Amino acid sequence: MKSIKASGIGNPIDRIEGHLKVAGKAKYASEFPVENMVYAQGVNSTIAKGKITSIDTSEAEKQNGVLAVITYKNAEKLKNYPKDMTNFSLTTVAPVFQDRQVHYYGQYIACVVAETFEQAQYACRLIKVTYEEETPDIHLDKNRGKAYKPGESADFSRGDMDAGMREADVTLEQTYTTPIEHQQPMELHAAIVNWNDGKVKMYANQQILNQATTSISETFGIPKEDVQIITPYIGGGFGSKLNVYKHITMATMASKMIGRPVQITVTRHQMFTNTGMRQFDEQEMRLGAKKDGSLTALAHHTTSHTAKNLQYFEACGNVSKMLYKTPNNAVTHRLIPLNIQCPSSMRAPGEATGSFALESAMDELAWKLKMDPIDFRIKNDTQVDMGADKPFSSRLLIECLRIGADKFGWENRKMQPGTNKKGNWLIGYGVSAASRRAPYMKTSAKVVLELNEAAVNANIKMDATDIGTGTYTIVAQTVSEYLGIPVENVKVEIGDSEFPVTPGSGGSWGAASYCNGARKACENAIAKLKKKQNITESEEIEVAELLQQNNLTTFEAEGTAEPSEEYKKHSVFSFGANFTEVWVDKDTGMYRIKRMVNVGSAGKILNPKTAYGQIIGGLTMGAGMVIAERTQVEPNYGNFITRTLADYHVPVNLDMANIDVVFLPEDDKIANEMGVKGIGELGITSVAASIANAIFNATGKRMRDLPITPEKLIEAGLEPGVA
Amino acid sequence: MRPFSYTNAKNKEQALQTFTKTSHYLGGGTNLVDLMKEDVERPDQLIEVANLEYKNITKNNEGGYTLGGMLSNSETANHPDIRKNYPLLSMAMLSAATAQIRNMATNAGNLLQRTRCPYFFETSMPCNKREPGSGCGAKDGMNALHAIFGYSDKCIATHPSDMCVALAAMNAKVEVQKTDGSSRTIDFTDFHRLPGNQPEKDNTLEPGELITVIHLDEPKFSDHYYYLKIRERSSYAFALVSVAAGLQIKRGVITKAGLAMGGVAHKPWKFTKVEKYLEGKKPNKVNFKAAAEMAMQDAKPFEGNKYKVEMGKKAIVRALTQAFEREA
Ligand SMILES: Cc1cc2nc3c(=O)[nH]c(=O)nc-3n(C[C@H](O)[C@H](O)[C@H](O)COP(=O)(O)OP(=O)(O)OC[C@H]3O[C@@H](n4cnc5c(N)ncnc54)[C@H](O)[C@@H]3O)c2cc1C
Ligand code: SF4
Repeated sequence: MKSIKASGIGNPIDRIEGHLKVAGKAKYASEFPVENMVYAQGVNSTIAKGKITSIDTSEAEKQNGVLAVITYKNAEKLKNYPKDMTNFSLTTVAPVFQDRQVHYYGQYIACVVAETFEQAQYACRLIKVTYEEETPDIHLDKNRGKAYKPGESADFSRGDMDAGMREADVTLEQTYTTPIEHQQPMELHAAIVNWNDGKVKMYANQQILNQATTSISETFGIPKEDVQIITPYIGGGFGSKLNVYKHITMATMASKMIGRPVQITVTRHQMFTNTGMRQFDEQEMRLGAKKDGSLTALAHHTTSHTAKNLQYFEACGNVSKMLYKTPNNAVTHRLIPLNIQCPSSMRAPGEATGSFALESAMDELAWKLKMDPIDFRIKNDTQVDMGADKPFSSRLLIECLRIGADKFGWENRKMQPGTNKKGNWLIGYGVSAASRRAPYMKTSAKVVLELNEAAVNANIKMDATDIGTGTYTIVAQTVSEYLGIPVENVKVEIGDSEFPVTPGSGGSWGAASYCNGARKACENAIAKLKKKQNITESEEIEVAELLQQNNLTTFEAEGTAEPSEEYKKHSVFSFGANFTEVWVDKDTGMYRIKRMVNVGSAGKILNPKTAYGQIIGGLTMGAGMVIAERTQVEPNYGNFITRTLADYHVPVNLDMANIDVVFLPEDDKIANEMGVKGIGELGITSVAASIANAIFNATGKRMRDLPITPEKLIEAGLEPGVA
Repeated sequence: MRPFSYTNAKNKEQALQTFTKTSHYLGGGTNLVDLMKEDVERPDQLIEVANLEYKNITKNNEGGYTLGGMLSNSETANHPDIRKNYPLLSMAMLSAATAQIRNMATNAGNLLQRTRCPYFFETSMPCNKREPGSGCGAKDGMNALHAIFGYSDKCIATHPSDMCVALAAMNAKVEVQKTDGSSRTIDFTDFHRLPGNQPEKDNTLEPGELITVIHLDEPKFSDHYYYLKIRERSSYAFALVSVAAGLQIKRGVITKAGLAMGGVAHKPWKFTKVEKYLEGKKPNKVNFKAAAEMAMQDAKPFEGNKYKVEMGKKAIVRALTQAFEREA
């Protein structure tokens, strides 16, 4: 049955949708031609806390082409957030214009609908608002008294932390801080919504369709079946397109109100204020170790903020529960409600930031112990997830570290900071260990086979999304593999909520879930065809022949894959190691990341090309966390002063290094039948620490506050010294 | 954007005659159009001047060259005569923005680009430069990117151009046409101004004056030059601090020095006193360090930009050293 494997899984084939994208033929949410369409645009509050006292829309309404202005005065009643702080989940409603209250700067307070985009945009400027302003809660420091524990899962402890610290020969207590960051995918959030006869159909760039339809249906109080979302291509999400945001509600409300399809595109500026972000995190680490390097205690306490009416927390401390063997362990998370929009998932929420703190602290402790940081990590390796009290399904962290060290040339590292110099450059090497949960979730797919001469074409349908990661390609390769047909004969149809249900793209579960769902549908098709002819399951037979024997030219089957009992009994993670060489200019504080080596054990690699792409993207984002990504909050007014991509600095090509990516072979059938694990978020995890550790090795300066800018390095005083 | 009318000027006369108080000349539009989208600039009329004839680089009678005001930043920086005779200018210009923006941006527009102060860009914030009398948000707010020299109570913004820092270190003059048909020439050092009580005015141009050309005097720093730009990423970022350094060295002695700093004041900050100090001295570390100390001694930083003083000193020493050590 598997005679044609050239294009099956494991091959680095080009993206099957690549040409469409390069040729501009791949249609994104805002690009669908819809007749009779009009444009909506949101207006944002210019205070962070208070009440709207008046809102004058008369001038805007008078303008050419303006069809409606929606405010709290004429908005329909929607389901609102529950009164108590509710968790901002994937199905949380997205109410808008329900009252006069303003909870954060940039909150939508009105929406203009007009015949053209330009008319809508202009009319927005003519709306006059007055407020009864209150002093917003903006500063973390001034509001520490309001910190609270966001639910039972926020805290964890094992053993006796204080006893563990007393037992230690060497201890470390340090605080690490990371700023507000924004996802800012290239493609702006956008939707074209058509409300028709109580049903709503929209083109909208949502990462997870089955959850988004729930949110929309609950917001408007209509059956879930009456909400359809179509999104064949998404230009990046990085978490910002997981949740349903209020622009969707505005456009839906507008379409219902005026009876025409409504297009809305969130502006780049609104992408800072209205589509989620990573919050500021302050992480206090306490570590203790014996002289031989064995950890005796590890505590990880995180304080961050959430919105006034919605709760989200990034579990920074989770990594400290599972990465190392630690007899005594304590993890807490506290949130302070502020007048800033609700944070949301962004690029490995929890891991990206948590691993910066843990892996910096591990490096600091290794230095205090005078131990090589790789040896120190290996010394504390564990094959059991002590936080969950379950064995890992597979864990090749030691191998990642050793093989990476070899590839990178770690033996050339000078232990003493500030001793590796070249002209004006101080050169440093850094390492960090990475781990990322590899979730796998129930996924359905439907496959339709068609016999055409002697060839079989397959059409696979699922409500999966491709956020630029390569879903189309790996699903096609999976179908090719399990049906034994060339990948060219596979048509992948995704991005429609009417297709069989998947968990969508997010949390690095997409690849494993989608491919197993597709596999199951193909296996079911073959099993059914065999059964009809009484062919035993083990017999190898081409799918074309099976159809012929059945006298069928077409056949369809569905399949649902889901985690096994074994899966539930294990902790399933991907692991990795990051190595970075950094050159710091001794005078100017500017630095260059020269080289990066990333070694990962991430299960079965479906397509090395798309997999490398994920890691390279992850490393770049990790570098972004260190180099300059930071959204600054104005201390007196509470708005983000970082408001465009000209001042929210993401890395440019010149900032990035020579990157070497290695995947270790791994066969983990506990993870799932195909042995596929998540890759995307593994790539960003702990990268920041490997760079910060390299900067320490170069300069002797320990940088604990991201990003590490020239300003901060100059202030740290760059003359090489020893911490 | 707000509605506006558009005129594509066929010649300088048309541009000048069409000008009204609420007009703006349009060069490459890389700054002006952004500011219109942000609702900061609200012209009633745009007069496109990017297509006017001032697109050449010619020799002038002071032994230098004259740059067309409407020539693009890319064409100017990459022009063989500029690279050969004014490599400092070329280096500064190529450190700015991105290739795409430099292709669009004109030399005249570059001189007139407005501050990157985030309060200036956000119409809901107080800003005396955008809305005189509304206050200066940056002074008691976020001022990491702001001035350490020459600011006033009313405004602490910096001028963001790289090109202008090099022009300040060299000697340049800006020629402008007035709406009444006459013209005048402004010394580059007098072209931009300090904020004083009128931060809304970035420069000394009168309404309607059209920049046509920029005159450079005889090249002096074609052998020893360096433009050092310290920024948060390797390209496509404005300078935190930048230094343009040019030296003329004869028989081991500095005979002419040009030194200016960007990112520290409302105008490109020329260190005239330090230039004089360096002239007649040997190009060595001791003198460069003394020059740096002298240059930064009057700096008065704010809470958020204290780093600029130390960074400025290091940058001066480095830029002078690089300029000196450069193989001619
Ligand atoms: C994201 C980004 C990054 C950037 N980074 C840098 C950087 O690192 N360094 C740097 O130096 N610059 C940088 N720039 C700024 C860029 O150099 C300027 O925007 C550009 O030089 C302006 O030229 P322009 O022709 O496009 O001007 P325009 O935007 O067309 O005009 C600017 C102003 O000049 C006026 N004007 C134009 N021509 C004339 C004339 N002939 N006579 C009189 N008035 C005129 C206009 O009315 C307007 O007020 C950046 C810009 C952007 C958008
Ligand atoms: S520094 Fe100048 S530009 Fe910035 S807010 Fe103050 S007045 Fe406005």
